[in-house]
Amino acid sequence: MSTVAITAPDDKKRISTPGIKPKNRARTAGLRRTAVGLAVFAAFLLMWWGVTAAGLIKPLFLPSPGAVWDAAVQANSCRPVAAGAERLVCGEQNYFMWEHLIASLQRIGAGVGMAIVFGVVLGFIMGTIKPINTVIEPYLNFLRSLPPLGYIGLLIVWFGIGDVSKIWLLFLAAFPPVAMATISGVSGIRQDRIHAAQSLGASRWQVLTNVILPSSLSEIFSGIRIAVGFAWTTVVAAELNNGIPGIGGLAYISGTQLQTPLTIACIIVIGIAAIALDVLIKNLGRLLVPWHGKA
Amino acid sequence: MTAVNSGSGTPPVIAGRRVVLDNVSQRYTTDRGDTVHAVSDTSITVESGEFVCIVGPSGCGKSTLMDMLAGFLTPTQGTVTIGGEQVTGPGQDRGVVFQQPNLYPWLSVRKNVELGSKFRKIPASVRHDEAERYLKMVGLEQFMDRKPYELSGGMQQRCQIARVLANDPEIILMDEPFGALDALTRERMQVELLQIWRKRKKTVFFITHSVEEAIFLGTRVVVMSARPGRIILDEAINISDENGSPLGAELRSAPEFVRLRDKVSTAIYEAQGVTGMSPAQH
Ligand SMILES: Nc1ncnc2c1ncn2[C@@H]1O[C@H](COP(=O)(O)OP(=O)(O)O)[C@@H](O)[C@H]1O
Ligand SMILES: [Mg+2]
Repeated sequence: MSTVAITAPDDKKRISTPGIKPKNRARTAGLRRTAVGLAVFAAFLLMWWGVTAAGLIKPLFLPSPGAVWDAAVQANSCRPVAAGAERLVCGEQNYFMWEHLIASLQRIGAGVGMAIVFGVVLGFIMGTIKPINTVIEPYLNFLRSLPPLGYIGLLIVWFGIGDVSKIWLLFLAAFPPVAMATISGVSGIRQDRIHAAQSLGASRWQVLTNVILPSSLSEIFSGIRIAVGFAWTTVVAAELNNGIPGIGGLAYISGTQLQTPLTIACIIVIGIAAIALDVLIKNLGRLLVPWHGKA
Repeated sequence: MTAVNSGSGTPPVIAGRRVVLDNVSQRYTTDRGDTVHAVSDTSITVESGEFVCIVGPSGCGKSTLMDMLAGFLTPTQGTVTIGGEQVTGPGQDRGVVFQQPNLYPWLSVRKNVELGSKFRKIPASVRHDEAERYLKMVGLEQFMDRKPYELSGGMQQRCQIARVLANDPEIILMDEPFGALDALTRERMQVELLQIWRKRKKTVFFITHSVEEAIFLGTRVVVMSARPGRIILDEAINISDENGSPLGAELRSAPEFVRLRDKVSTAIYEAQGVTGMSPAQH
């Protein structure tokens, strides 16, 4: 549109702020929201800083924002072993912080990835074959209600102290929500949708892939989001034993060694990574299920 | 009896199959455990190529009857046979136009229409052209690449009709298919449906609540009674509509049309237990 717009008489009434187009107004609103968010964050930092700088709380219990920042920087860089020494030590616990994060993400990826495959398949079977559902559902509910910390010891006895037991733990924590969501998606499909395909000549397999799978995609995605959320809370538990490299392991060990700034830095990193991953999955879901809520 | 000329249609369908409902009943058990007797002891024989319109008060079991023909429901008593073969489930030979559009939102309008051919693994180029032809017929050629939820309800319904017709079923089951359409589109769809029926020699079961539509379209009008539904009137229609013009004022006032309309309307009113009332339109 040109700036010298020929406006209809009633245009002035509709657009309350003359000269600002609706698109621009949306952008202004977005900017304002970001500004408010930043202001709140700054206020929070200032309060944190104020409390620690005034010496109200001992640094061991609550380190200052600066100390946490320094811990994070140190965890991502190399420094001399001692003042003036030649040898360098890198990161924390022999790994950079981002390497710890990657290690945890890999475990989550492996555990949740397997959980998605298994959970969706199991959910399809349980959602489409009623007798199987009746038999398996109590076990699924049982597993779902167990806290992962309760059975990690058992998994270590079974699968050793290495990554296998950790991935098992993540898998066991993550697959029930995926399976439950898939079951709910599959059994919530309107019968007519299936009937329409059958009357068009679809085989059982074609109904499954062309109707049931896309119909339940939206619910499967919400199940995956819940599963990934579970996996984050579980990964710290999984990394309590022999969890280096691992961001959860680092958080735990630094805590036991009274390196509270590093612990807080780890917690912040876990939080940011978890939110980022959730946003990623949410957007992936939006991309793959653009019809959600519309049909 | 079955004077079937299989037309010039490309796929040679097994022509001349007769549809027989033999003493069919359907009982539902509701969630509360009550039994609903939806259709009761219904028998009807429909020859290939007939256009049967089913009318009756709402809740009288018309959709239930259709579901049994489609194979979505097994009768709790009696049998449905097509060409002597018992119906045990849905199949490509019976195309179903539902009351709701029932389109798949993850597929474009075009892909929805192509779906039946895709299931039968017909080459993409062939099914592309077919889909386009039927979408043009229902006036949706400009919306082929849209998603169904971007269309109005009436347009979605037209898309569903195109999807069923493109699949070339031997028998077409339609459950109040034009209910959501505006008067003009409705007329156009009626004429198109009649043309396809004549050209391709389909057997059509058509549920409607419009008596005029039933008489205009059908070669036979069946009236069902209130629950438990059974057939209380089965009337052959002989109105020449060879020119295929829409249901206009001229046809509406034709003596034979008026006679049939009054007869069918009276039957419906009697079916509802309202006798002695003038058979007004509803
Ligand atoms: N799944 C069902 N469970 C219980 N009752 C049903 C079910 N489907 C239909 N009915 C009942 O059966 C009767 C006939 O329904 P329907 O065939 O849909 O009627 P129509 O299409 O003529 O309006 C209605 O009274 C309806 O409430
Ligand atoms: Mg109905």
